[in-house]
This record gives sequence, structure tokens and C-alpha cells, in this order.
Amino acid sequence: MPKLKERPKPVITPELCKGCGRCIDACPKHCFTMGEMINPLSGLIPAKVDLNACNGCGLCFDACPEPYALERWIEDALAVELEMAEVKPAAENAPPVIPTTRKPLPTAQPLILKGTYASAVGALLAGCRHFFGYPITPSTEGAELMAKLLPDLDGVFVQAVSEVATVNMIYGCGGAGRPAMTFTSSPGFSLMLEGISYMIGAEVPGVFVNIMRGGPGLGNIAPEQSDIKLACRGLGHGNTHAIALAPSSPQEMLDLTMLAFELSFKYRNPVVVLGDGYLGQITGKVNLPETMVAPGIPRWAVYGDAQHRDNLICSIMLSEEALEAHNTYLNRKYRAMIEHEQRAETYYCDDADVLLIAANTPARMAKGAVESLRRQGVRAGLFRPITLWPFPIDLLTPLLEDVQEIVVVEASNGQLEDELRLALSKAHVIDLPLIENVRHFGGILPQQDEIVEKVLNYRVWAS
Amino acid sequence: MSVYYEKFTRHARGEGIKGATTHYCPGCGHGLAHNYLAETIEALDIQDRTVLISPVGCSVFMYYYMDVGNTQAAHGRAPAVAIGHKVANPDAVVICYQGDGDLASIGLAEIIQTAQLGLPITVIFVNNGTYAMTGGQLAPTTPMGMATATSPDGRDRLMGEPLKVAEMIAQMDGPIYVERVALFDNKQRNRAKKAIRKAIRLQTEKRGFAFVEVLSECPTHLRMSSDEAQEWIKEKMLPIFPLGVKKDLVVEPWFDMDLPNFDPQALVDQLGTAEEELPRFSDHFPAHIDTDDISVKMAGAGGDGAQTAAMLLTRAAINESFDATHIPSYGPQSRGGTSYADVHIARTEVLSPAAPDPHILIAFNSPSLMKFAPAVRPGGIVIYDSSVITEVPELDSNVQCFGVPMTEIARSLGNIMVKNIVALGALQSVTELFPPGTFLTAIRSALSEKCALIPLNEAAFEKGRQFLEALTH
Ligand code: SF4
Repeated sequence: MPKLKERPKPVITPELCKGCGRCIDACPKHCFTMGEMINPLSGLIPAKVDLNACNGCGLCFDACPEPYALERWIEDALAVELEMAEVKPAAENAPPVIPTTRKPLPTAQPLILKGTYASAVGALLAGCRHFFGYPITPSTEGAELMAKLLPDLDGVFVQAVSEVATVNMIYGCGGAGRPAMTFTSSPGFSLMLEGISYMIGAEVPGVFVNIMRGGPGLGNIAPEQSDIKLACRGLGHGNTHAIALAPSSPQEMLDLTMLAFELSFKYRNPVVVLGDGYLGQITGKVNLPETMVAPGIPRWAVYGDAQHRDNLICSIMLSEEALEAHNTYLNRKYRAMIEHEQRAETYYCDDADVLLIAANTPARMAKGAVESLRRQGVRAGLFRPITLWPFPIDLLTPLLEDVQEIVVVEASNGQLEDELRLALSKAHVIDLPLIENVRHFGGILPQQDEIVEKVLNYRVWAS
Repeated sequence: MSVYYEKFTRHARGEGIKGATTHYCPGCGHGLAHNYLAETIEALDIQDRTVLISPVGCSVFMYYYMDVGNTQAAHGRAPAVAIGHKVANPDAVVICYQGDGDLASIGLAEIIQTAQLGLPITVIFVNNGTYAMTGGQLAPTTPMGMATATSPDGRDRLMGEPLKVAEMIAQMDGPIYVERVALFDNKQRNRAKKAIRKAIRLQTEKRGFAFVEVLSECPTHLRMSSDEAQEWIKEKMLPIFPLGVKKDLVVEPWFDMDLPNFDPQALVDQLGTAEEELPRFSDHFPAHIDTDDISVKMAGAGGDGAQTAAMLLTRAAINESFDATHIPSYGPQSRGGTSYADVHIARTEVLSPAAPDPHILIAFNSPSLMKFAPAVRPGGIVIYDSSVITEVPELDSNVQCFGVPMTEIARSLGNIMVKNIVALGALQSVTELFPPGTFLTAIRSALSEKCALIPLNEAAFEKGRQFLEALTH
């Protein structure tokens, strides 16, 4: 026990004391009493202390809930070399960015992979070593491959208690600056939306591969494009958007999953990869890229070290002005995505007067239909959005001049068509061609023959 | 205390006294729990490594005060967020701070999983028996009989009994240390400090998950002075929530996680890519079947090997540098019943990967033959297992139909599992899609890790071919 004069004694800073009186109970020597005067700064009545009887027991310090209301006063301060651990200030300057690098990949023969596997391999190539997920058909095989491969790459696979937990694990891991991902399917994606809103608000990157299945409710596990509206319009509460990528082959499952990580960190925003159940299962040839990514730790991350100590991951903006400013900033980000990230494939579009619009596997059926229609002398083309959000409207409008008919081919109740119509409307396309559709929404995919038939029937009717 | 920011600039921009005071009500127990946490972080010299997760509840703004890495979590999800942080950086000291609504109601699944997982993470659970931030509603830990905003006549049986979280956590296998403490007198406060110190020390020593439940006063919603609130905890809470150590295991440090490996060679090795191209045997697309795109359906009962045969055919075609796809039937059908696979082989690109009207059908059982044979397109080929199929449906006169006793041939080779390889042999012979070498190479490379099975499979392929040859020549 230090000598009396060396023990700290309490001094009240009146404006910081809320007058709760816990110190009055705590002090065995009854040094504290309740004050009588309202402090003008706090509007509260602070306690008073008389140190005559104080023996420096320090119990009051443990009883005061306020960090700065009780000063520690040491009568003989000079005699005491306070053995307080020197607390380092957080690194003054901005933390050095541990840079993300690309490393050349040894040359290798193409792989033959199913869609979900190709996506998992894309994630590994993008530097993702952290996977969180909950098993749900038809996305599980991607997760299973990650579970198999990650341990040997010193990565981490965590099977979460639910999709709700999954997205929050991604929030933590992505907030720490690491590329993290999940595989899920429609009902699971629904559960993740709340967390995705938090990620967008707090600007946390992360990749969600959603192998969509039939809905609503439990629906079935057959392929649908049931979540286009969720990915494009419904990412949880508030002002949210995220880039939504729509691959249509195992190769694109790999390429676009890699791209998803890049965009996710570029914009500090989640990215959604939407595949249909068919695409998850389909096996095909997949070429590996020439380089892979070794991700660094970004400047803004809450990584848990000295350089990143000042950082905060948080979506709270208490004041109305601050929140509006934040949303305005998010809107700028969304605009940048709309400006720079629209992607689409065009197939025989230049002279088309019938334009098929389709994404994912239905786009393959539509491509087959284009071939078949061209053989029959119909000038058909395919416009395949690769980004569903932002909808690639800037790439579409220049093609529309000669188009008399658009046929939206989709395995959903018109969710892609809604995106198309909204984009056309926002782009002020007034002179619309006829918009027809071929839709299925129970797990059956639109087939090449019915697309061809739809177009030919219209021709007959129109002439 | 220096683990607090010198000035709370996040608290109303640090203006006026807000820059040096918390947002908590006078006498609130949160401030004490914060102080003990801050002292511990300082004493253990872990300020730089600490990641503190603020919950939703009155302590939602904890990140205003603690000069450490801060993440604010959605309601109840802090333990899941903590897992994310801990595995992202195993050296981080991850502390979850949660209230009773957050942890014991909406976040039950997350705390249970995180506790049971047992990673070295520390959870401080502040139990004040009420939803304080939203205005004093019934909490999972509200004592029986107590009136709240949502139990105006007092908690009764229909609202269930209060949840004893520390006991619940302690009976799980994951956690190593669980204690319940209180703040109502000097002795309890001293214990609370020690418990928090220990729970975090165990994490820094990489020993495991630790949980401290703190019975804390909310004078505001009790409508009491802070000394009355202290009394209330003693009288009303202690009988339900007895204090003390609920679990304390001595565990050797075990948590040891490497940083992620980004070595390209390691990744390529994991993917099992081949360095060398496989030999090729074919110099042209099998246009005698169709000009640009050929579809094959293989169907049978689960276990007949339709998917494997389809995969081998796909690989064979890709090795010959054509595009090919394989899509299995999946879903409830694939659990018993018919299992079928659609394969497309295209000169340049497979468009529609489905095969509703295939060029070629291989049927391993009768239901598959009945179902799919009528859809085979005119000029197409049907090969079926005549060991098990006795009746053949009426087919287009343009469709050629071949019965091959696949099961019998496979059995004569000692393993009926290879009947799908017999089928591939027959397919090669009758269609000449690719030369035999193409198929055999695909089979050998698929079996590269089970070399002992290669001769059996080669023999099965050859027998299938010979049978068909005898039939057709
Ligand atoms: S409402 Fe209760 S728990 Fe919340 S700050 Fe006030 S006293 Fe503390």
C-alpha cells in the first residue's frame, strides 16, 4: 500500500458530475455529500467532496460511472513515479495501407467445373480466405468446396447458425478489411437483407453469391430468377444499392465472382452475384486467369492493430443533417457505379429488329433462339445484361433505333422486365418498341423453341 | 483513464461538457462496466489490439468513448460480428458488449453459437432487467411481477420466466469462464472488476470464450435514486440471478490461427489443375451426328452412374477442345427415383444446355427409357440396358435402338458399378462421337487418384464396344 500522501484522492469536476450519488454510498469515510446547487453547464446537481477524512482508499473511483467526473489528485505527486502503463496514442498519421497486389498464376490447363465450384474458385483467386454460410439448396456445393479448400490455404470456413448470423460475420470480417463471402439461395438471401443494409450504411465490402430458386416462401429448389427485385430494389431498409452481377456460364461464375470482390472493395459496398439454380449445377470448361489477388488491409479497416485503432465501422448518423449528408455521399457512390459499371453482352444486336433481353441461363436459351431465328431469316439479336443493377441502359439505348419488338425472356414473374422498364423510363426513352415476354416462374426455364415461337407468332400477327 | 478518448468528439461533436461526459443517465451501471473495461485494457496493454463491438441498446454509443478499434453491430448480432473480427485477425482482442434485450432476446442464436464455438472472445453482458433505450419495456430478464411499459400489470406466467443467461452459457461446452457479478456495493464492484479483467486476460492468453454477466442498475426506468436502485438489484434480482462463478475451466492456450496464405502455387495445387494438356485423338467435330451441337441424355436410377458417365463424356469433349456442358437433374427427383443428366457438345459454344429432345439417349432402367425415348429426335439413337429392360416403347422409325446387357457385362467383370462405362463403350462404337482414345483418356484422368480401378474400367469400356460391334457388323 503506498503512503497516504501518495494515494490518489478524488476531486470532483462539477460540470461532469451527474450527481447520481454512488460515491456517497461507496465511501466508508463519508467524504461525499449531495450538493445543493444546480450546475449551470450540466443542469444537474453535482456531489460535493470534503477530503478531511479521506484515506485514499480509492473505492469512490470504482463507484463513479463517469470517466472524467472524479479527478485523481495526489498530494505528493512528484514523489510518485506513477506506474501507469504509458498508453500510446493511435498512430498520428494515416495508417500505411498494406497494398493489394496481383501475383502471376502458374500456367495451368482449364478446369472442368460446375457453376458453384467455379464461383468458389473465383473467390479464392480474388483473395477471399474467409467464408461464412448456412447450407441451403441449391447453393451448398460452393460452400462445400470452400470448406474443403480453405483450411489448406490457412483460410477460415464458419458454418453460421443462420443466414442472419452469416451476414453479420461478413460484416465483422469485411469491417476488419478482409474479403469475405457467402453462398446462399433465395430464402437465405431474404434473411441477409437486413445485414446488407447495415453493410451498405457502414460501407463494408463483402460478396453474396445467390443461386436463386423458386419462390415465394419455401417454393421449390428448381431454378428461378426470383431475387432480381431484391438485389436491384430491395437490399434491406433505407437508401441502399449494390452492384448485382448475372453470370451465364461456369466461366463467368468464376470471372464475375472475382470481379465482385474487386468492385466490393473499390466502392466499399457489398456486391451480389445472382445465378440461377441451373447455372449453379451446370458443368463446363473454365479457364483460369493469369493472375490472382493477394489482398492487403485497407486504410479504413477495424483490423485490430495500432495502425487501425482510430477507425470505426458504424451505420449510425444521429443528426438529421449528418445522415442526409451520408446518404448524399452514398448517392454519389451509386451514381459512380451507374456511370462506370454497366456491363452487357450483345449478340447480333447491330441490325436487329427483334431484341431478346435475358440474363443468366435464360440468356443461353435466348442465344439459341437468336441462332434459330436468324436461320429463318428473322433479324433477331440478344442483349444480355451482365450487371442487373446498374441496368446497362447506356449500352441498350443506342441499339434501339430499328428495334420493333423486345422480348424479355426470364425465369421470373417479370422482375427483369421491371428493371428494363424502369431504366428506359429514367433514360427518357419515350418511343418504346413493343415489349413482349416469355416467362416461367416455378422452376421451369424458358426454352429455345417457345422463344422462337413467340417471335414468329408476333411476326405473323404483325404482318 | 486513458483508454477513453481524451475528448469524446463523437458525442455531439465533443462540444461543451458532452466532450467529457457519457450519454448515460446519472447512476447508470453501464458507466462502471465501461470503466472496468477501460482499466483492464490499459492494464493488459492491449489498447491497440482491441476491437470493441457496440450493441444496440443504451450502450449503442460505446464507440464514442473507448479509444480502440470500434465496430457498431446490428441488434443482437454482436457475437456474430465478433466471430468475423476474430477470424479476420486472430491477434485482435475482440470484446462484445451487450445488454439483455440485445443478447438474451433478439440475439439468442448468435450468442449461443459464439459461446459454443469457444473462440477466445469476451462477452460482457449487462443485465438491468429492462429494455432501457426503447423506454422500459419487458426484457427477457425482467423479474416476475415487475410492471414495465409492456407488462403494465406486472410480468406474469404468460410472459414466461426470466432467463438465467449465465447459467445457460455455463452449461455449454464451448465457454471456459462464466461469472455473474453486480455493482451495488464496493465488494461487488471489486469482484466485477476482477471478473472483467480475467475474462479478457483469458482471451489474450488464447485460452477460450469468457462471459461476464453484470447485474446493473437502471435508475431511470426503475424510477429510483441510484442507492434505491442498488437495493433493488440486491432484493429483486439476486434471488433470480445468483452471483458467482458459474464455470471456470483451466485450459491450456490453444487458439493458434495462421494468417491467410496467398501463395499462387499453393492455390493451384489445391485446385488440382493439370500442367500438361491431355493427348487428343479427334481432328474434327462429329458433324455426322449434327453440324454444330449434339445433345445426349443419360438417365437411370440414382446409383446407376448416369451422372458419372455424363461427366466423363463432357470431359472427353472438352479435352478435344470443343465446348461441352453437363447439367444434372437435381432436386427431390435426385433423391431416389430417376436421375438424369443432359450433356451438350458444341463446335464453338453450347447455347441451351438442356436436352429436351436429345440426339442420343442412354437409359439404365425402364422408367427412364419409357419417359425419355419418345423425345429422342428423328435420326437419333437409343442405347439401353437390356439386362434390366425387357420392354421397349414404340419409337419413331427413324430412331435406332440398341439393347446392351450393361449390368450383365459389368457383373461378368466383377463389379456392376462399371455398367455406365460399358454404356460409354457402346456409345463410342455406335456413334463414333470421338475415337476410343478420347474416352479412355477421360476415364484414366478421372481415376488418376484411384489407379487400381483403371484396368477394370478400361475392360468395361472395351466390352461395351465389342458387344455393339458384334451387333452391328
Ligand atoms: S436508461 Fe437506464 S440503462 Fe439506459 S442509460 Fe439510463 S440508466 Fe442507464
